[in-house]
Amino acid sequence: MRDREPSRMMPLPSGATAQAVALHQMWAVFFWSGIGVAAVVYGLIAWCLIRYRKRTTDRELPVQFRRNDRMELVYTGVPILMVVALFFISDAAERHVETIAAHEDVVVDVTGFRWSWRFEYPKLGVSVAGERGRPPEFVLPIDETTRLNVTSVDVDHSFWVPDFLFKRDAIPGLRNVFDWTPKKLGTYRGECGEFCGLDHATMSFAVRVVSHDAFVRWAAAHRRVAFVSHEAAR
Amino acid sequence: MSAVAVRRSIDESRVRDGLLAWLATTDHKRIGILYFAATFAYFLVAGALALAIRAQLAIANNHLIAAHAYNEIFTLHGTAMIFLFVAPFALGLGNYLVPLQIGAPDMAFPRLNAFSFWLFLFGGLTVFAGSLTVTGAAATGWTAYAPLSSLKVGFGAGQDLWIVGVMLVSTSSILTACNFITTVFIYRTPGMTMWRIPIFTWEIVATSLLILMAFPMLTAVLIMLLVDRHLGGHFFDPSLGGSAILYQHLFWFFGHPEVYVLILPYFGVVTEVIAVFSRKPVFGYTGLVLATFAIAGLSMGVWAHHMFTTGAAVDPFFSAVSFLIAVPTGVKFFNWIGTMWGGQLTFPPPMLFAIGFLLNFLIGGITGVMVASPPIDFHARDSYFLVAHFHYTIGGGSMFAIFAAIFFWFPKVFGYKLDDRLGTWTFWLVFLGFNMTFFPMHFLGVMGMVRRVYTYPDLPGWAALNGVASVGAAIQAAGVLLFLANLVVSTWRRVPAGDNPWDGNSLEWATSSPPPQLNFHRIPPVRSERPTFDFHHPEIAKKTAR
Repeated sequence: MRDREPSRMMPLPSGATAQAVALHQMWAVFFWSGIGVAAVVYGLIAWCLIRYRKRTTDRELPVQFRRNDRMELVYTGVPILMVVALFFISDAAERHVETIAAHEDVVVDVTGFRWSWRFEYPKLGVSVAGERGRPPEFVLPIDETTRLNVTSVDVDHSFWVPDFLFKRDAIPGLRNVFDWTPKKLGTYRGECGEFCGLDHATMSFAVRVVSHDAFVRWAAAHRRVAFVSHEAAR
Repeated sequence: MSAVAVRRSIDESRVRDGLLAWLATTDHKRIGILYFAATFAYFLVAGALALAIRAQLAIANNHLIAAHAYNEIFTLHGTAMIFLFVAPFALGLGNYLVPLQIGAPDMAFPRLNAFSFWLFLFGGLTVFAGSLTVTGAAATGWTAYAPLSSLKVGFGAGQDLWIVGVMLVSTSSILTACNFITTVFIYRTPGMTMWRIPIFTWEIVATSLLILMAFPMLTAVLIMLLVDRHLGGHFFDPSLGGSAILYQHLFWFFGHPEVYVLILPYFGVVTEVIAVFSRKPVFGYTGLVLATFAIAGLSMGVWAHHMFTTGAAVDPFFSAVSFLIAVPTGVKFFNWIGTMWGGQLTFPPPMLFAIGFLLNFLIGGITGVMVASPPIDFHARDSYFLVAHFHYTIGGGSMFAIFAAIFFWFPKVFGYKLDDRLGTWTFWLVFLGFNMTFFPMHFLGVMGMVRRVYTYPDLPGWAALNGVASVGAAIQAAGVLLFLANLVVSTWRRVPAGDNPWDGNSLEWATSSPPPQLNFHRIPPVRSERPTFDFHHPEIAKKTAR
């Protein structure tokens, strides 16, 4: 079903959009920094557990030292430098991912409702909606920038495509805007991320990334023909 | 005859046993024991609910438990673990220990203290009473996000009982926090300056301040929710001019300080346990206390890191402060390592659980720094990665510290020790089971498994990882059963523990086990943060007096 390159970190998807490149890099930076910190701290703990076990030869209490100001300064200062660096790296990536392109190729209004999704392409006159138990298919052209406007008509949902390493909440009364530029053909699984009641677990959708020509053909075939009508979806 | 002595002579003539004595007690030690019993009972129920969750998720496309029942189960599991076990167990432990550690005869407001306990107990029962209603218990998660929770269709009386129950528990915590702060500030024995109070008591002070700042917000937001549900309000309904996102802001303004309420007291437990079983004073006492208050202060400014994916919390401030909070937490790790450094470590069950805490909590801390980064949170939020993250902090952290606390202070509270060998087995079972349950969830999360789902499709690897998690849950359950057996066996044997079985540091080890009605017949002089140790090791006290 999915087209995934092996990732060296856990079973993390490699990210199938242009935006996901930066997201994937963030996972790499934090994953390897985390491994580094864990190695140092676990190493120190292991050293204590092995080296400072009470031995049968211990007759007197150990040296009762209480502080070491220089050491305390180091173990406060170094972590500060580390998190400041991580913050700036992360903030730069966030700005990059959240950047809205000056020109978009496709606009899609994504609406979450209990318990499915509706995808409307206002410029193309296409609307696709799923219903409970029948997940809709969300079609995107490859290498083109799709502008997504995400909202909800009832309760909070979250629009998540794990292979794009990205989700954005669908909240009634709010419209969340972001861009996706798919870079790999294929079909991906999408899910509702925010708990929304009874059928939250099955509120999925399929994302199909197709070539430009295939997208044009698909749009022409689906113009004004909805999988389920608006009214039924509500 | 001093006032305290008069009170003591009056009160000791009234020591009684029997049911009424326990129902009417205002003795902080008895109230502490009531908290231990009640919170542990809630823990067993919440644990059983967790087993139901793991049974349902053991295989893909399972239909053992229906969707709505599953939603009730995870809601009650989270609510009970957070509001009825981990937080109030710490308040119970504080109830028992704080007056002893500062050399006071009781809490400042004993009747208020009793009132707090009964509010808490019945608050919890009110939440669970939802299960008896026709429409079932609350089913909107422990966060009860509006506008979902303001829907009346599908969420009936059970949801209202949840709201009222949690409000009672919240009020109880606020009253207890007032009590702790007054007790520590006013009732310290002569010589017990603020810079000599044990770390556990410091952590309770910081926790109480957090409760005072955060819990009124919880009560307020729950009242708003009730108004929306029953009095025609629309705080959280955008179609009538309200705001759905407002609920999240208000809830997490409480919710993030709350997670530190769930961990700070247990930092205190682990600090005490590690110092005693390393045979050394706490390393960097002052820095540790300052780190505690840094965490408490910063935790008031990070609530919107729970809302990175809402698009309504884009200010980098929240990410920056969330990163920063890792620093004082890191300082504590180095305090603990420094305490062990050069010591003489022994490994009875309390120390094993404290080390388990260090090993588990570090993972939760590292994943915490990861999700402080919005670009990572965009993927991790509401996935099983997040479930793994917070279970490593609250389960692998707080729950392990709770077991450490039980094994450590049990001989003080009841006068006899729990069996060490059974305790060691309990540790290894719970430690192995815990990591088997929650480590695979990191993988499931990044692979795309969303939380709060009653079923999942059979995608490559999902069933296997979930299967491992479910087996781990069964192993943890075996560990807990062994712990219950330990309680029975040790109570049967009743081997007297003596007043000071671990060569402890703080004042609770200077009185009898269990302590007399008003705690002390005689308090040793307080010249450092470990008066009992000084009393038993005068040659060292002379050298290290501060």
